[in-house]
Amino acid sequence: MRPFSIFSIPGRFSDGQRRERRHMLARLGLAWLGMMQVMMFAFPGYLRGTPMSAQDRSFLDDAIVMMNWISLALTLPVVLYCAWPVWRGAMARIRRAHVSMDVPVALGILAAFIPSAHAAWMGRGEVYFDSVTMFVAFLLTARYLELCARQAVGQGGLHRYIGHYRDALSARADRAAIGFTVVQLAVAIAVGLAWYFHAPERAVGVTVAMLVISCPCAMAMAVPTAIAAAHAGAEAAGGMPENQLYRLMQATGRASRQNLYGAMAWHLLMMPLAAAGWVQPWLAAVTMLLSSLAVAANSWRLFKGQARRGARTPTLGAMAGGGVLMLKGQPHWPAQGRQARRGPH
Amino acid sequence: MDALYLLIPLSLLFILGIGAAFWWAIFSGQFDESDAAAKSILQDDELPARAAPQHRPPAAQAGEGAAGSVDD
Repeated sequence: MRPFSIFSIPGRFSDGQRRERRHMLARLGLAWLGMMQVMMFAFPGYLRGTPMSAQDRSFLDDAIVMMNWISLALTLPVVLYCAWPVWRGAMARIRRAHVSMDVPVALGILAAFIPSAHAAWMGRGEVYFDSVTMFVAFLLTARYLELCARQAVGQGGLHRYIGHYRDALSARADRAAIGFTVVQLAVAIAVGLAWYFHAPERAVGVTVAMLVISCPCAMAMAVPTAIAAAHAGAEAAGGMPENQLYRLMQATGRASRQNLYGAMAWHLLMMPLAAAGWVQPWLAAVTMLLSSLAVAANSWRLFKGQARRGARTPTLGAMAGGGVLMLKGQPHWPAQGRQARRGPH
Repeated sequence: MDALYLLIPLSLLFILGIGAAFWWAIFSGQFDESDAAAKSILQDDELPARAAPQHRPPAAQAGEGAAGSVDD
């Protein structure tokens, strides 16, 4: 297979697609840049708990105040510029009284940013700037992968079957994700209030962690990445006969469900841990990234299985994924036959 | 402590420069079709240039085909 970079923008794109991809790439890159800086400046804050002399303590406190201001200066552009699609999406949805994936994200950013900015202004209290920037950067990573998947499909024109199938799948997945997210938001707010009365100093941290976890990034990626993988796989194989296409659709549906249920399982596992106060906001953001990457990897596996269908697949055999096992069982079409069947599309 | 007041603003300036350079690189097309430059040397001049169609005198196509494509 030829080397492929998701950061390289294909030349076949229309102007609109290219503009969209460039903006998303700029937002992604700058968010990662800001995140790394803010993480560095957040480090002194984590030393607060360690025992030290009074002189060191006062030095550290001065340093933390300064670092907090610098973190605020670095976080502001990340929140305003990089997270712009989130604000735009959330506003559009709220005006129409809908809840989408942008709403929990927007709430998560605000819940972490506003108390942090207040703490930096007052010169005391906890700041969560590192969690905010991580959240934005990881979220944009998931969105960028999703955009790549959608644009890769949009380019070549979707096969009729895959198109129908995608519409049916994404409608179901959206319904499930939205219901799930609304429940999570309600739980996050209720738990946040409970912590506020029980231990006010920890309420912000717990609420932020729960809002970060309720972000359905991985669920939003479940169908688009699986469809893109199926589409790319079908293209790599050249045309395919109907029965084989049907099997590919089955495998795609299975991969989508794996993605969706896997993401839900992650949510169900993390929510109680976060509610108990065991998950720091930054840790929540890291596991959010991991769940998104796991979804992307699962879809990638579908594509790999499809692309080398019929070839020896010893490594894939070890995996328990139904999608790949399904594909492995398919008959291998000789190259000539495949060429002959290429016609219709 | 005093050194921090100098060095940290300096590092912020660096970040600003890096961010601006990154922004420029994306919007000036440095990330567009990153394998095109490597392939262009192998392409014949008969193929239309993808990025920006340029006017080329007919004599150059016959004589200095290879050299012309490297410049694209």
